[in-house]
Amino acid sequence: MIEVSGLSKSFGPIRALDRISFQVDEGEILGFLGPNGAGKSTAMRILTAFLPGDSGRVHVAGYDVERQSLQVRRSTGYLPEGVPLYPEMRVQEYLKFRARLKGLPRFRREARIARVVEESGVDHVKRRVIGTLSRGYRQRVGLADALLGEPRVLILDEPTVGLDPEQVRQFRQVLRRVGHDRTVILSTHILSEVELVCSRVVIINKGRVVARDTAANLRHRLDSAEMVVAEIQGPMGEIREALSREPRISRVEAVKGQTYHRFSIVGSGDDDLREVVFRLVRDGGWLLRELRQETTTLEDVFVEVVSGGASSPGGDV
Amino acid sequence: MTALRNTWAIFQREVGAYFLSPMAWIVIFLFLLINGIMFRAFCHFFADEPRQITRIVESVFGFSLFWVLPLSPILTMRLFAEEKRTGSMELLMTAPVTETQVVLGKFFAAQKFYFLVWLSLLPLFIILEVLGSVDWGPILSTYFGLFFLGMLTNALGIFASALTRNQLVAAILSLSGNLILFFMTLAAALFPEDPALKRFFHYISFTEHFDTEYFRGIIDLRYMFFYLSFAALFLFFTVRVVEARKWR
Repeated sequence: MIEVSGLSKSFGPIRALDRISFQVDEGEILGFLGPNGAGKSTAMRILTAFLPGDSGRVHVAGYDVERQSLQVRRSTGYLPEGVPLYPEMRVQEYLKFRARLKGLPRFRREARIARVVEESGVDHVKRRVIGTLSRGYRQRVGLADALLGEPRVLILDEPTVGLDPEQVRQFRQVLRRVGHDRTVILSTHILSEVELVCSRVVIINKGRVVARDTAANLRHRLDSAEMVVAEIQGPMGEIREALSREPRISRVEAVKGQTYHRFSIVGSGDDDLREVVFRLVRDGGWLLRELRQETTTLEDVFVEVVSGGASSPGGDV
Repeated sequence: MTALRNTWAIFQREVGAYFLSPMAWIVIFLFLLINGIMFRAFCHFFADEPRQITRIVESVFGFSLFWVLPLSPILTMRLFAEEKRTGSMELLMTAPVTETQVVLGKFFAAQKFYFLVWLSLLPLFIILEVLGSVDWGPILSTYFGLFFLGMLTNALGIFASALTRNQLVAAILSLSGNLILFFMTLAAALFPEDPALKRFFHYISFTEHFDTEYFRGIIDLRYMFFYLSFAALFLFFTVRVVEARKWR
């Protein structure tokens, strides 16, 4: 549905995008992840035919963004960063204007507006002036606008910035509701968002794709070096030595407590270390009050990938 | 058809935006207030003169001609500068509309509001008609002249607005443009011995035509053509400026 290959874009001497490539299949929700200034918004602007790329090919919904820009714009719904709506208009007025721009025939406009207003949860504020709405509501009006033309592709640039946690949760619900039959690209620098909503993730940094995989796979890549945290009562030195002797354990860090000591244990293989640790504790006759596996979050992946720790996975950059 | 529909949608939004902004109402208020006061003054001044009504009409128009200078800059400064500043340009240009449709829609909206401001003078002439008898010919031709002149100044104003994201800068730019055209009349005096240059400056100055033609009920199509072609040129430039983000 969306195909980007070898896309580059410079603003004067600044290289905003450096030969990035990725694709999004029909019905997928792709998380476009990167620190601020990584080039996310630039990529979105190129995908929506607002800006041209310098080189490379970009196809959206089967159309070339440069040569068939009008077709691309007809099949795309876009929510730019910051949601710049006309503050003096009423929600309904605004949507009517946008529906006309998007070429919705007169007889379908009312019904379509009623539908998106409901889908985005702005039904009860549709008579309000946009300038008086809270950030969260303006965000939703922006989403309603993006949905108006029944687009096959939704491109959302930082849709949850500036929302409070409750609004973020609501926005996610709305997104899941409208995203199930569409192709969605969602740019963000908030990782939890990606983990909860997106099926696949592209991470870019300094204009380059540094990782490209499913969220689960990305997490799994770091999971191979598992870490277990255990709180054990007993002589600390002795426990540490017993743990270190175990071949399946590669590294042990201990923090001394009053009665219980806290151990961070890293394994050398794929085995579940919890069993190993439990057996050791039982054999030593110590007491165990906590034993848990640390799951790697996308945040860890992100930090690792962006700081250049990992070799670019799945990347032919 | 699509082109017309898109232009029309943008035109209607912009006209609506004028009526929703305090700026437009302030302009109309000041316009009516100042012209009303002057109208009263002219009525007193010409009370005992021959052809008083014609002289009053001429003076009302003559005096309000200075509005030509600030009116278009004030009305057009917002059109693109504001969209660029708030970023709504991005939403506008990612809708399936062309740059030309956007520019034309905004231009005609400015043109409509500009003309409405001038039409607000009509009640003054109707008062005169009630009191005596007004020669409507010159009024019509003056409105005609104002309309075409407005095309030029509004196109210039939109061009200035597309160049910057700062409304004030846009207004000052287009005001400067208007002033340059305004002073073309004076420039003619610099070349008293060169009839060709003198004619040239007369041709492109805009105040002189009002004194010598419109107030007398004369419409010279050559000047209309001049205004129109200038307006078209600036609108073309505006389209190019809006497109410029796509250049490389």
